[in-house]
Amino acid sequence: MEKLPDKRTVDMRIISEWIESDSSVLDLGCGRGVLLEYLIQTKSVFGVGVDWNMEKVSSCIKRGVPAYQGDLIELMKSFPDKFFDRVVCSRTVQELNNPAQVLLEALRLADSVTVGFVNYGYWKNRFHHLVSGSHIINEVNLYEWYEGPPTHPISISEFEWFCNRHHIEVTRRVYLRGDWETPCEYLPNLLCGYALFELTQ
Amino acid sequence: MNDAEENPLLNGPGEVGLVQYSDFDYEKPFTFEDGQTIPRFRLRYETYGRLNENRSNTILICHALSGDHHCAGVYSIRDRKPGWWNNMIGPGKPIDTNRFYVICSNCLGGCQGSTGPESINPDTGKPYNLDFPFVTISDMVRAQKQLIDYLEIPELYAVVGGSMGGMQVLQWAIEYPEFVKRIVPLATTSRQGAQSIAFNEVGRQAIIQDPEWKGGNYEPDAGPRVGLTIARMMAHITYLSDKGMERKFGRRRRDSGEINFSFDVDFEVERYLRYQGQSFINRFDANTYLYFTRALDYFDLPETYGSLEAAFREVRARALVIGFTSDWLFPPEQNKEIVQALLRQRKQATYAEVPMDFGHDSFLVDAPNLYRLMVAFLWDK
Repeated sequence: MEKLPDKRTVDMRIISEWIESDSSVLDLGCGRGVLLEYLIQTKSVFGVGVDWNMEKVSSCIKRGVPAYQGDLIELMKSFPDKFFDRVVCSRTVQELNNPAQVLLEALRLADSVTVGFVNYGYWKNRFHHLVSGSHIINEVNLYEWYEGPPTHPISISEFEWFCNRHHIEVTRRVYLRGDWETPCEYLPNLLCGYALFELTQ
Repeated sequence: MNDAEENPLLNGPGEVGLVQYSDFDYEKPFTFEDGQTIPRFRLRYETYGRLNENRSNTILICHALSGDHHCAGVYSIRDRKPGWWNNMIGPGKPIDTNRFYVICSNCLGGCQGSTGPESINPDTGKPYNLDFPFVTISDMVRAQKQLIDYLEIPELYAVVGGSMGGMQVLQWAIEYPEFVKRIVPLATTSRQGAQSIAFNEVGRQAIIQDPEWKGGNYEPDAGPRVGLTIARMMAHITYLSDKGMERKFGRRRRDSGEINFSFDVDFEVERYLRYQGQSFINRFDANTYLYFTRALDYFDLPETYGSLEAAFREVRARALVIGFTSDWLFPPEQNKEIVQALLRQRKQATYAEVPMDFGHDSFLVDAPNLYRLMVAFLWDK
């Protein structure tokens, strides 16, 4: 459990490296607004977060991060095309009811969309499944099946296939090993623990 | 044992305690949006807490249709009923009078001490009654601005209010963008919808059709008491919710519990509404009710400014808009629209939705969730 803050930082560092100063950013599933607070402070972005959870939105308010409590699609539909420079979808996509709709809507709103997710194809996940056949609980999958939200297991190759099918161009990829730190040089679908994509359409 | 020791509202923790109102007399002509001018006006107001050295800690509270300037504290040691937002305002409470200087004024057109239809028209020596100009939300705000200027307050830390108060809050941010740093509109709308206009019209008709209304020229101690009671009873239903009423009253009977086969009060909910109506006529003027409901009906920011985005173009204030799940008078959607338009103008705006089943009146109810949001927004760095 101790490694979790580190993993969040790695995630945040790469995501913010891809973000230009003074740009505008929509964070889908912004949680407590940690990423946006960082981006507002370091890159003076115009940032907006969206999350379902009132407690989390309350934390955003405390951080001075503008946030919208409600449905992602509902908020996204209220903006004109290319209103944002970037939409960030970091560790959110696996919990969506309608991932395709959300990703396509995100591509309508911004030239660049950042998507980060835990690779279900990572060998340890495969191994766990093979041995126990049960739901994975670790430092990033915190909940028992009966406690947490429904979660789509996404693998890198399936995600690439999805992009291909929808004519979404992947402009950047970052694959990290199981420690979410060391770059993963080969066989990402097997050896990468966490993947970040930059998409455009 | 004396009364002061007995009354926890007087010196209990978090209480503003004893308060008194003040009157601000604006001695110059004031022109309303409808083009009419009155030679002077008065606003009755209250303040709590202290203005800091920089004069930068003022929170203005805007009241709703049937509210007034008395939003916290008590008037005497025997007073058992504190101001209407006493749960929100006080030392250590979300609108913390240890930090903030809080002002609330009775709206222009009101009947609780401010100039309104009941007031004497200096030109005729008689009450204005229906000669009073049509007051709009913008008129209310421009009059309040005169009060704030008179108090030599150079900026407002925040403007906060629900329902009709929320409309004033929006108008403040639009008309005085440099002046207002933060806004918290609650349970409100940028544009009065058809359903709300419809309810207001029924209330107005109840008053106007009462023979005692006399074209608005009733004597100060008389008037359309039946009409105003009915208007209030009906309006009160729109402030509650199906679930909230079911929980509070259900089908509970009065007294014997037997059905009386009469049209007198059988059910607890009937007794409650009659009580609400009766107590309202003792404190509220029927003509003010007509004027204020009209002010609500005429409120339409998209129409006034061309679009809601255009209305918000110059806004500088950071906004926290709060909707309530069970509010069907100004439902969450109408509150969300405000935030969506602010965001489209790239303003700092947040929408939060509080799950409560007290209907429109949720914003007045003791609710830790609401307090947390308010504290997070008002107490930030």
